[in-house]
Amino acid sequence: MNLIFVFHDLLANIKGWLRSPGTVFWTILFPILLILIFGAIFSTGDEIELDLVVQDHDESLISKEFVGTLKNISGLNVIVLDKEKDPREYMQDEDKSALLAIPKGLNTTLIEYIETQFTPTEQFDDTINFTMYVNPSDQTTISILRSIINSVIYKFNMNITGGQSIFGINEESSITEDFGYIDFFLPGIIGFTIMTSCIYGSIERNTKFRKDGILRKLLTMPITRSEWILSKMLFMLFLSFISTSVILIFGILVWQISIKINLFVILLIIATSFLFSGIGMIIGRFVKEQETADMAGGAITFPMMFLAGTFFPLDQMPDFLQSIAQVLPLYYVNEGMRNAMIYGDFDKTLYFTGFVLVFSAIFFIIGVFLTKWDED
Amino acid sequence: MVDKTVRCPNCGRIMTCFGNPGEVIKITCSSCYLEGKVTFNKTFQSKNIAIEVTNLKKKYDNLVAVNNISFKIKKGEIFAFLGPNGAGKTTTVEMIESIRQPTAGNIWIDGKDIKTSFNDVKEKISILPQEFHSFEKLTVKETLVYFSKIYKKKADINNIINAMDLKDEEKKYYKDLSGGLKQRVGVAISLVNDPDIVFLDEPTTGLDPKSRREVWEVIASLRDRGKTVFLTTHYMEEAEYLADHIAIIHKGKIIAEGTLDELIYKYGDESILRIQKSSSKKTANILKENGFNAYTEGNGDIAVKIKYKERILEILSILKHECIEYENIDIRRSNLEEIFLKITGSKLLENGE
Repeated sequence: MNLIFVFHDLLANIKGWLRSPGTVFWTILFPILLILIFGAIFSTGDEIELDLVVQDHDESLISKEFVGTLKNISGLNVIVLDKEKDPREYMQDEDKSALLAIPKGLNTTLIEYIETQFTPTEQFDDTINFTMYVNPSDQTTISILRSIINSVIYKFNMNITGGQSIFGINEESSITEDFGYIDFFLPGIIGFTIMTSCIYGSIERNTKFRKDGILRKLLTMPITRSEWILSKMLFMLFLSFISTSVILIFGILVWQISIKINLFVILLIIATSFLFSGIGMIIGRFVKEQETADMAGGAITFPMMFLAGTFFPLDQMPDFLQSIAQVLPLYYVNEGMRNAMIYGDFDKTLYFTGFVLVFSAIFFIIGVFLTKWDED
Repeated sequence: MVDKTVRCPNCGRIMTCFGNPGEVIKITCSSCYLEGKVTFNKTFQSKNIAIEVTNLKKKYDNLVAVNNISFKIKKGEIFAFLGPNGAGKTTTVEMIESIRQPTAGNIWIDGKDIKTSFNDVKEKISILPQEFHSFEKLTVKETLVYFSKIYKKKADINNIINAMDLKDEEKKYYKDLSGGLKQRVGVAISLVNDPDIVFLDEPTTGLDPKSRREVWEVIASLRDRGKTVFLTTHYMEEAEYLADHIAIIHKGKIIAEGTLDELIYKYGDESILRIQKSSSKKTANILKENGFNAYTEGNGDIAVKIKYKERILEILSILKHECIEYENIDIRRSNLEEIFLKITGSKLLENGE
């Protein structure tokens, strides 16, 4: 193995990359912009105003306090609905995305809780749930509203009980209460960035280099395909780690995200790079014109980006879209990254990383097998 | 084709037979009629041959792109493989470079059968593919260093830069070079391993006449450095200017082969020597009397058809002897374009069609 060439090829690729402002933009600045823009939209909500319909069935001091808190949130337009009206009918008629029903008995539950505080022998272990009605077709708004409502409920629980949850929400969310949208979004952006740079990188190697005669020249030179692919993969890993680092640094500095860097994160970055490079090689094998190959790359990356839970939690999508996501490699990458670096759920990390490794082995091996330098 | 001398095991008669390397032929003794077989060695023995191709064929479904061609290229010569687009030039050269697999036939480079030993010759050859573009964001020098790292045998990069007259461009990015300079860099890249054989596939296609001339000078310099050059081109004047040996390919077949002089002698019309503004009206008759095919053209110039260049001196000495003065003498001989037209009945246009 000519490791001197492998090293030299890596350096040449890095040089070429650094000298291409457009490529540097797509690798570094684009994910940063995504993080900043989406983070600004979903973390502060300052720039948008969302309607939230509130139906107060309790009409007590505490429920009014809750509604008042919601009203004070900038960017949130709280519409109070008469408790006698049918929430679903109202949402349909007025085309509203979400309605929060404050349950009757909120005040009573609070009083019961306070009473138990004066009776050390008794323990309060009841929870009263709010109900959130949602229109599934408007996932963006629901996602933001859910985060906001969760954070307000969390704040109330903290203020009253110091941590015990006496108020809850009866709709399950994939985003646990301790995490915000940006925590969900950041690993998705990492997966998405690695996917695009690896797929398009592979396509470029297999179509542009073919068109430019470089593959034909390589065939007549004392270099093996494994040396060539190894050096290119090292470069793809370099890009993957650069973009991941940049995204993480911005996530931490700007949005104060708590990130867990562990072996699984490293393993996922490497496996993801191999996985999508393999997919790129497969595209490059069958679509030889560069422009067509770029379009084919787009046809694969864009639907995958939206359907694999990159921007929005999968469980908020319609069932049939959720089924599609289950067969998309990026879904496993996103979930693996989230569980490894944000949620810290070891079992799920192991589960999703396993899938990524299997996908990676399958696609990379097929990609290498299908990659051809010679002509028919 | 190679020849082999054999002795009949029955009567002892010595015979010479012809065949292709690796071929087994049946022969019958011309004296005792004993039948036998002669096997020709797979490798050719000549140390002066850089490339040998025998019975090479490439078929795509019903299309025969290259149809049973054979040729030899001597070491140190520029071999021009000339033909219009679609004639089979690139298919042939890419089969020799192992980029395409032949349907049939044998190829030897430096005495080695490339079917089994192509890896052994990779260090000795170098190619400039058709429409080659290198890495855009590397400088000329970085590009040469990059490709040199692939080879064990390395030429001095600075020497190549100087020889290819690229000193002023060595720090420029490849993408910023003109078409002619890019091709010059392409040739320079093909020298980084100090190869014995250089394949240049249509190196001047798409270049303006000035850039084309510059690349010609670079190619000519390769011969001076002792390289064997396999040049494919559809430019007649390129082959005329550069080639020591020319093979003309048309519809997958080699229709003519030889040096330029040989091709002109074999296929070309007689050269025409034109005597402009002769002082005597009898010039044509005098030359006719001396056995020349001479005639007076409409503008009064005397045209003489000559087959051998040695006869030019003879004409000049007659003119001197007869005290005939003239303003100018012009000699025009057939070119490859005319030869191609004569053999194929079709023109080979500038764009190679």
